[in-house]
Amino acid sequence: MAVPVRPIYDFLFRKNYSMLGVVFVSAFAFEMFYDTTMNKVWDNINRGRQWKDIRHKYAQEEE
Amino acid sequence: MAPLATASRTLVARTSSTLLRPAVSARAISTSPALRDASSTFENPFKGERKSEKVPDFSKYMARNPSSVNQVFSYFMVGAMGAISAAGAKSTIQEFLKNMSASADVLAMAKVEVDLSSIPEGKNVIIKWRGKPVFIRHRTAAEIEEANKVNIQSLRDPQADSDRVKKPEWLVMLGVCTHLGCVPIGEAGDFGGWFCPCHGSHYDISGRIRKGPAPLNLEIPAYDFPEENKLVIG
Repeated sequence: MAVPVRPIYDFLFRKNYSMLGVVFVSAFAFEMFYDTTMNKVWDNINRGRQWKDIRHKYAQEEE
Repeated sequence: MAPLATASRTLVARTSSTLLRPAVSARAISTSPALRDASSTFENPFKGERKSEKVPDFSKYMARNPSSVNQVFSYFMVGAMGAISAAGAKSTIQEFLKNMSASADVLAMAKVEVDLSSIPEGKNVIIKWRGKPVFIRHRTAAEIEEANKVNIQSLRDPQADSDRVKKPEWLVMLGVCTHLGCVPIGEAGDFGGWFCPCHGSHYDISGRIRKGPAPLNLEIPAYDFPEENKLVIG
């Protein structure tokens, strides 16, 4: 394994507060990633049916 | 009778000796230390191949990685589970709280749009917004000047006129007296602004309390001018 494992352990997991910090920061990152991914999946499933997809058909006529 | 007697005696002696030997060996496998000398051995009563006596080779199951790699891996898994459950808990609570807040259609109904071009200079308009009256005054230049001239330090609730309006010519405020909640009368009172008939509070042309029992200035709602001559309250 080329990854320096020991410094990772010492830096991230050895102290309880640093482990907790890592957990919360990664929870934040995970949530952002998960939300954007799920929004993309939702938009992909409902493509052509949402207002933002069909807006251009109607918005031009008003102006 | 003699041979019979000797025969029986020898029989007793033999049986006693054969009966005694297993007793001794049984004592040898017990935990008694008295007979545990170097010569005593454990005799397996089972015959055949003695597989169960050998300690198996566990080297196949032992970790091939250095121990720190496994340590980091297990802490990573623990931390990942913690992170995912923290994100899930946060999102659960957030969705419950979002559920309680007003939905978009309710918020849209709670806004009021006013066409300002129909209000001439120096006139008051009272509209209803969320069950409360809202005063809109198109102030003249003289009134704006008067509102700015007041010494702020002398006021009961010190507030500059520029903090109370977004555009100086348009004064928008809630028409509820801060004393006990009556509706003040416009263009009345000692200071040319509003006068509350219930207990005699006088408000000036910026809606600030000047005289009477009310403790605070008239409240300013959230409002915006999305276009020229258009006012949205809420």
